[in-house]
Amino acid sequence: MSPQSLAEDKVAIIPCAGMDKALGSIARACAFKVVEKLRPDKTVLVCIPPLVAGVKPFSEIVKTYPSIPIDGCAERCATKIAVKNGARIKGRILIPESVQKHNLKPKSASDIGPDGEKLAEKLAEEIAIEIDRLLGK
Amino acid sequence: MTLATGKVGIICCSGEDFAEGTISRVATRLVLEKLRPDQTVTLCLPLFLAGGEDERAFARVFPTIAVDGCSKKCAEAGTKKFSGKPVATVLVSEVMKKYPHLKVRSREKLEPQEMELATKVAEEIAKKVDEILCKTAKK
Repeated sequence: MSPQSLAEDKVAIIPCAGMDKALGSIARACAFKVVEKLRPDKTVLVCIPPLVAGVKPFSEIVKTYPSIPIDGCAERCATKIAVKNGARIKGRILIPESVQKHNLKPKSASDIGPDGEKLAEKLAEEIAIEIDRLLGK
Repeated sequence: MTLATGKVGIICCSGEDFAEGTISRVATRLVLEKLRPDQTVTLCLPLFLAGGEDERAFARVFPTIAVDGCSKKCAEAGTKKFSGKPVATVLVSEVMKKYPHLKVRSREKLEPQEMELATKVAEEIAKKVDEILCKTAKK
């Protein structure tokens, strides 16, 4: 892809959505809050499984827009997969760090509970601020 | 992850692109936590795809069920590519055809009607788990 085709009007959000831990559910929840509520016109949500499979448009989106991966655990799968697929990482959320920072712990993978909801909201707000910064607004 | 006998690995797409991905995720959790907690483990698809060797080793040795939200069948394709073909695939969009009155709209939080559909999908997964373990026991 030529540099001319890189776009700076949206940010790609890449949540891990891991199944093993409650923090994967937080990654998913905060991504939805950003793309559906806080910055719907400035973001595109990238689904990891089709990205790995090379399915368009995801494989093109990560090469076109600046990306923010959201990792649910220290394995950092979203970041690794994004990098492997040519993404331009411009910001990153590692949820275990955010749990400590905000002292909010989700209940479980199937039900994040009130604290999990609060954590997802706080992270979504942080991501929204980062999006505005990246897009220069 | 600890390897154990008599287990079936459930690999769901958990995709964010459609509401069906959320159904795949919730249905898988229902199987793991309520319907077949002692017979199933989940394999984290992002970790599996990112190169998680434990996840891939499990799927090479133990039977797996892919739970896919849409016809792209990413969970099935990913498992096949990195470990081996899943013994069964449950496709949410196919299960939905059996229950046309149950509509899915939300990707974030499931409404009662969507929860009912997730339960139906979970029951299909549990049925496949029983079939697989029954065949394994006979061998």
